Amino acid sequence: MIKKLLASVRKETLLLLRDRVGLAILFIMPMVLIFVMTLIQDSAFKTLNEKGIPVVFVNEDKDSLGITIEQGLRGSSLCAFSDSIDGQPATYETAKNAVADGKFLVGVVIPKGATDAIRKNVMQLVEETMSTDSVQTIAISDSVDITIFIDPITKKSFLTSITSSLREFISIVKTKIMFQTFSDQIAEIIPDQEKKPVNAFNKTQIIKYKEVFASKQIEEIVPNAVQHNVPAWTIFAMFFIVIPMAGSIMKEKNEGSVFRLHTMPSSYLLLINGKIITYIFVCMIQFVLMMSVGLYFLPMLGLPKLFMGNSYLALFIITLATAFAATGYGVMVGTIASTEQQGAIGGALSILLLSAIGGVWVPTYVMPGVMRDLSALSPLNWSLNSFYELFLRGAGVEAVWYDALKLILFFLLTMTVASIINRSNRKI
Amino acid sequence: MDQGTIIEIQGLTKTFRGALEPAVKGISLSIGRNEIIGLLGPNGAGKTTTISILCGLFPATSGKINIDGMDMKGDLSSIKQIVGVVPQDIALYPTLTARENLDFYGHMYGLSGKLLKDKIDMWLENFGLTEAAKRKVNTYSGGMKRRVNLIAAILHDPKILFLDEPTVGVDVQSRNVIIDYLKKLNDNGTTIIYTSHHMDEAEHFCTKVAIIDNGTIIEQGTPAELISRYDACHNLESVFLQLTKRRLRD
Repeated sequence: MIKKLLASVRKETLLLLRDRVGLAILFIMPMVLIFVMTLIQDSAFKTLNEKGIPVVFVNEDKDSLGITIEQGLRGSSLCAFSDSIDGQPATYETAKNAVADGKFLVGVVIPKGATDAIRKNVMQLVEETMSTDSVQTIAISDSVDITIFIDPITKKSFLTSITSSLREFISIVKTKIMFQTFSDQIAEIIPDQEKKPVNAFNKTQIIKYKEVFASKQIEEIVPNAVQHNVPAWTIFAMFFIVIPMAGSIMKEKNEGSVFRLHTMPSSYLLLINGKIITYIFVCMIQFVLMMSVGLYFLPMLGLPKLFMGNSYLALFIITLATAFAATGYGVMVGTIASTEQQGAIGGALSILLLSAIGGVWVPTYVMPGVMRDLSALSPLNWSLNSFYELFLRGAGVEAVWYDALKLILFFLLTMTVASIINRSNRKI
Repeated sequence: MDQGTIIEIQGLTKTFRGALEPAVKGISLSIGRNEIIGLLGPNGAGKTTTISILCGLFPATSGKINIDGMDMKGDLSSIKQIVGVVPQDIALYPTLTARENLDFYGHMYGLSGKLLKDKIDMWLENFGLTEAAKRKVNTYSGGMKRRVNLIAAILHDPKILFLDEPTVGVDVQSRNVIIDYLKKLNDNGTTIIYTSHHMDEAEHFCTKVAIIDNGTIIEQGTPAELISRYDACHNLESVFLQLTKRRLRD
């Protein structure tokens, strides 16, 4: 029995090694996909996080407000700051045109005299507050408009982020001026200059916030294109073996090998087991190759290095379970299909659909509620969730066993369906 | 079933799913040990269906089959061990070499190690394929493929060999080699059940023929008996045409 099984595995391996197109589908295509998709999605991630939103800034104020906002925007990861257009300093008109042309998503113009207006306003407020007159009438200075040009394609969330930042900067400048003015006024009343605090305003910032990603890992790992794409496309590649696998089953039917094997004292299941063992091995090789892309090749392109979590045992369990699910699906498609074309097209389309639903193309958290519910039906999603647990949250076996069990049950289900169909087909 | 009979078929019927009438209608036939029996008939007569049932490819709708003292329904696995099948189509892996194909099929018959290697070497030598053994089968000529197709069925020294048109589409040289070795196998005790459209080949090769038409056996006996039974016939082909008429079949 073991010798028959080994012979079947050997035969399957030889067939696979001599199928160059099949090998390309199994190994090269997913590696290329990882490169392409990670690079594409990385730039999208960077638009939000690293490079930020392209902003053109026009500082006509040249005073505290303009300088503070400029420094704030320059230092903000939210913005890709620029104060020039085509090598020339940006002006109100050129900034407006550049945003209209789509060169920038947002343009900010701080008008001349903005700081003076704030200062004047604060002075009036302070003077009237410190005044001993019983009736106080606070004079309101002329208001100053900060102009924001907006590209119509700019997402509302981007815009909100920019305006919030501007409000914060204005508030800081206003508070600073107010603080300074009050300090000066108090110093006049209590003329002990030595006791006057140095950088008093900065010392008032006692409450700060720190962003920490909730993870059980010792090292902090930021969700990025690599952490999503490498496991996602690895799972996709593992399931894509449905094409060569179904093709192999169909070829055996068409070329008469199955006919001969049915007349031999060996069960068809043994033949299928030979395929399953071979393709599970293929899946594991795919996994190692894809991970090596994330660990070694993507960093060469300036992308973050893949972090594989802390539990190699959990990683092995979920990878093996995924390999079982993928091979079972391949056997089922190969058994159901009547022609090689049916197997290839049906298999490819179903995997594309399951991967789209499962969150391989775009993470499920950006999907609408209905699609998020649907994604729970895709075995690719079960696998991907477990990889997220391991790669992003640093979890262990306890976090993946349930999905691994579901994948193994999926394998058993597909094998049962294939077996029933195979028996039915033989009852001619 | 007496000791001299290796296959006993009684009332064999096969109706395919969805078919309006049976492909095989109550065939009864006794095949003696060491016989070479030819199942002859026009296209769609039921020859391949009969052979497919006998080699366990699919079950009969009704009827009883006993092979070498074993019941077809209860002892199928044991029967498969003593049977070799040469299908009409080339049932080989085109991208594997002849040796790799034979190694795989040999293992499926339970052979392994030196025994399997020696058998493969012997049959490749006998069929003039030693030099081509390391070439992929898809580079072979039709005759070479037929020879490998035959070797894959006889590696385990079967007691009974089923051949479904084993010489179709091959040149005279390959056909002679195949027929010569089938005769040698028969001399060594292998019972051969074979279908063919080559009447002259069957006349000289078979010890017995059964002419099948419309799913039933319409005549059986030795080629000489059949020829002598019909006065106007001087060979098996003329007997065949007289019995099955000249009407074209699907």
